[in-house]
Amino acid sequence: MWRRTFVVQGAWSYDVMIGPGLAYAIEPALRLLPGGPGGDAYRAALARQSQYFNCHPYFSAMAVGALARLALDQAPSAMITRFRGALCGPLGSVGDRLVWAAWLPACALLGLLFWGLGAGATGAVLAFVLSYNMGHVALRAWGLSEGWRRGQQVASALAAPWLRDGPAVIGRVAAVLAGLALPLVTGRLLSGDWVLAGAVLVAAVPAGYVISRLGGRVPGWAAAAGVLSLLSLVALLA
Amino acid sequence: MPIASHRIDDRLVHGQVVVGWGQPLDVAFLAVVDDALAGSPWEQELYRLAAPPELEMRFVTVDDAAAQYGAWAADARVGIVLTADVETMARLASRVAAIRRVTVGGLHAGPGRAERLRYVFLDAADAARLEALAARGVDVVAQDLPAARPMPLAEWGRVPA
Repeated sequence: MWRRTFVVQGAWSYDVMIGPGLAYAIEPALRLLPGGPGGDAYRAALARQSQYFNCHPYFSAMAVGALARLALDQAPSAMITRFRGALCGPLGSVGDRLVWAAWLPACALLGLLFWGLGAGATGAVLAFVLSYNMGHVALRAWGLSEGWRRGQQVASALAAPWLRDGPAVIGRVAAVLAGLALPLVTGRLLSGDWVLAGAVLVAAVPAGYVISRLGGRVPGWAAAAGVLSLLSLVALLA
Repeated sequence: MPIASHRIDDRLVHGQVVVGWGQPLDVAFLAVVDDALAGSPWEQELYRLAAPPELEMRFVTVDDAAAQYGAWAADARVGIVLTADVETMARLASRVAAIRRVTVGGLHAGPGRAERLRYVFLDAADAARLEALAARGVDVVAQDLPAARPMPLAEWGRVPA
């Protein structure tokens, strides 16, 4: 099942989102239902799990584990359907905050920092790819394990302090990485033209003020990543 | 302060609601109106995990929502009323005259449901309920995110010929 969670978005569509992918990931467990593969229980469960479902793709592993557990415990189908529906919001929201809004930009900034420190393009890309994938592969394994272990009680796993506080902590780390990467990458992009680099950094002061006035709607790391991307484009065009 | 949105969304509490609407509108509370959910602590626990701790969440029945709506509207903070289906919102709107606009934010595919928009799939019963709401003077629109244009029911609600 764990390997199948990597292709959970393989049959994505607007109408059922990752529902078919979720069913595909759970399918090995459903073969253990009374009647075996092709039996009535197997068919009914597979049809139920193929319906609309949407959440963060990495956290879908937790849904796979919990729903497989409920199916094999032969929980009432109405309860499974309600549980399945209730999982979408938290697994999407927790995943969005932890991965898309925190882990992904932090890893991207780490890659940029490596480049700013003198690494080649391959080194910077490797720093990003390796750090990012360590996180998401571990998340899938943890999610599947916790989902299977806790079944309907997965809420207690999702309420873990590291998940609750993780986005804020990673966000602070990302802000530090952005602060380190900004001057280093700027200096390297401007090829030692420290006057121009100084001008850019001075311009960052009013930009920082503007960001602080946005009331948190644009995170600092996101703005820094945007500035770095803009500078990269300028350097490529120059 | 008037309720910022009366939203129908079968996912109830999720990123679009919490981040997409919640942050720009500075939403302080979500009132989730659902008879079954109001009596299901384990489901409430799950939905609470979908929102940051500072966002207050209330899980109420239609009866309780109708009784408490005045207090919600009088609250100085911004709130959103959520239902998972058209039928629940229609029942609430029939008892709360102050509901002048209903926003369909997400009704996804299911048996008997036809696609009207990428995020709106309706069966005949739900289409009729929305028409009935509009006939009573409620402004029924589809809008998934604040930046999107609110699409009037006339543009997507009717069954294709």
